[in-house]
Amino acid sequence: MKRRTAIKVVALSTLSSIPAAGQGFRVLGVAWDAGEYRLRFFTGQENELLDKLMEMIIPADAHSPGAQEARVSLFADLMVATSGDHVKEQWRKGLRLMREEAARSSLAGALAKAAAGEKRKPSSDLERFFTALKGMTVDGYYTSAIGIHQDLQYQGNTYLASFPGCQFPKLAD
Amino acid sequence: MKLYDVCIIGSGAAGGVMAKELSEGGAKVILLEAGQEVDPSQFLSHKWPYQLPYRGLRGEKQALFYPKDIAPVRYEHCDPVGVDRIRVLGGRTLHWNAVTLRYAARDFRQGLLDGVDEDWPLSYAELEPYYDRIEQIIGVCGNDDHLEILPGGKHYLPPLPWRCSEHILGRTLKKLGIPLIDVRKALNTRPYDNRPPCHYCGHCMDGCDAAAIFTTPDCMLPKARATGNFTLRTNAIAREIRADREGQARAVSFVDRLTKKEEEVRARIFVVCCATVESARLLLNSRSPQHPAGLGNSNGVIGRYLHGHLGGGMHIYLAELEGVKPFNQDGATDHTYIPRYNQLFGKADYAGGWGIQVNFASYMFPYQAHDMAGYGPAFKERVRKMQPGFLFFGSFGKILARPDNYVTVDPNQVDEYGIPVPVVRFRFGRNDYALWRALKQSMLEIASNLKGTSFPHFGNSPGGFGSHEVGTIRMGKNPKTSALNSFCQSRDVKNLFVTDGSCFTASSEKNPTLTILALSLRAADYIKEQRRRGEL
Repeated sequence: MKRRTAIKVVALSTLSSIPAAGQGFRVLGVAWDAGEYRLRFFTGQENELLDKLMEMIIPADAHSPGAQEARVSLFADLMVATSGDHVKEQWRKGLRLMREEAARSSLAGALAKAAAGEKRKPSSDLERFFTALKGMTVDGYYTSAIGIHQDLQYQGNTYLASFPGCQFPKLAD
Repeated sequence: MKLYDVCIIGSGAAGGVMAKELSEGGAKVILLEAGQEVDPSQFLSHKWPYQLPYRGLRGEKQALFYPKDIAPVRYEHCDPVGVDRIRVLGGRTLHWNAVTLRYAARDFRQGLLDGVDEDWPLSYAELEPYYDRIEQIIGVCGNDDHLEILPGGKHYLPPLPWRCSEHILGRTLKKLGIPLIDVRKALNTRPYDNRPPCHYCGHCMDGCDAAAIFTTPDCMLPKARATGNFTLRTNAIAREIRADREGQARAVSFVDRLTKKEEEVRARIFVVCCATVESARLLLNSRSPQHPAGLGNSNGVIGRYLHGHLGGGMHIYLAELEGVKPFNQDGATDHTYIPRYNQLFGKADYAGGWGIQVNFASYMFPYQAHDMAGYGPAFKERVRKMQPGFLFFGSFGKILARPDNYVTVDPNQVDEYGIPVPVVRFRFGRNDYALWRALKQSMLEIASNLKGTSFPHFGNSPGGFGSHEVGTIRMGKNPKTSALNSFCQSRDVKNLFVTDGSCFTASSEKNPTLTILALSLRAADYIKEQRRRGEL
């Protein structure tokens, strides 16, 4: 792992000090080595668009924050920046296609058009990009502290003295 | 130069038990391991995804077990199969789910009973005492379920309690006439072997920091060290085994990964335990005038009959658990197992069967979010509500052992240590496809009887091995189609033994590790007896 990408684990108690998007930040239980994450692949404009799209895929609701607060676009930046040229090209082109489509209708319309291929085999670059975009959003959100703890309220990854088995008498034999 | 009694190459399941047994038997033993020793304090088992550089999606948790200087396998003319490249002290015992299943009597006689593969040169009755012994050495939880297809032992640790999803599954399977049993796992469910019990964190596959799962470093090596007869060399990459004028194994040459120096170890007996592909690679790279096709390869069998497991998985989200308040379901990954059942429903038009491991996936990640169409608020809510009902099937089915599936080496392509790389050629056969189709259909039928949403992951064709590859240096009755006798001893080279999965004559649907351990234990007894008699 390169020094620039190294991260230091910090206590979850730092969650309360998440600053606004686009600034230097501590994200979701990790602190980036440089103290702030600088975009490595996406431009600021691309990141802004990506941030909006990801929030539309997994939005904040009454139950939990969404992809934006979980900083999923920055996770995407790291993953794409450390991928091969083909992947980088797909993301750059995909965001451009999204922007062009949004200019013709709206961002919501562009996302709906891109998602249309989800129930069949994607047949255009825009539809294929949606597959990558949604997959990255899912990966980034549900591996973030917000996704794991606040949204799913996952109870595991702990030390138990014994395993209780099924605690619903109606379901257990 | 020091002359050891025994040099063992590879520290996985086979090498670990061999080192313990022979050291305890009074032999001066040296164990060579290509990888490093990783202290459990370095394991990342309990790290949260967001504490890892790439959220754990690029194998960060196991990165120490898979060093980057390991040469890649070259796959040529190959169906989608993968072979394991772990290089760490303990081998795959550090990165396994610890499911330990005995082969059935019929699994050793598939040539006679099913007309496929060859019969093993030993029977279940001959191996049974070693199954009994090894289960007591490593500690296995579960039950003797009195099944002909999955023989049981008498000394199991308490079984794991079932989750709600497993109770639901059990009731459904009962209606279909399919058994669901307590999983048998090399896992402490109470203190055993001076090791603590499981703490139910669900990280069996990430390295068990508590030593509740059997591993070579936690279970075998302390006993070997206690004898004063045992020497360990880690970071030692075996290049070749050298033969003397009579063609017997004399020394192993290796490269120290840290110093890059070439070194040599001399011994009276050599036991190769590098795993299926690497063991074949080592012997094929060990060419000499006495062994021009590789050590112990006068009949050209070494490398051939590569096989293992095929499979497919399924995520199911049970309706009965949808929307309940999230609760901790991690446990010890598998708590139950569906033993082979197709033999209960009449004769099939293919040979062999499959077993299904249940719930060995992590409960932390909502896999359905990748499988479900949609996005937005409704999508997010649906993912969340489905999550408590997660149930996972992972099947392992038999692949036939065929000589035209093989490992070879390419002298024109070497790794960074100058050692020719292994080349794998593998194609599924007609029986494999037929079995895979039946497996798929059956799992879909089971899922259709469960109330909930299922997401099958079979692809369009079988995928193979799942770290269960076997068979490249096989034992057998027929000297023309096997390299080893029933004690894992080379037919050509009396002081050469191979006791890892490569020694399998044929596979069944069962996970191979317990049989590897039992065969290695039996070979160790044989070596001790031959040494006592002065034969080795």
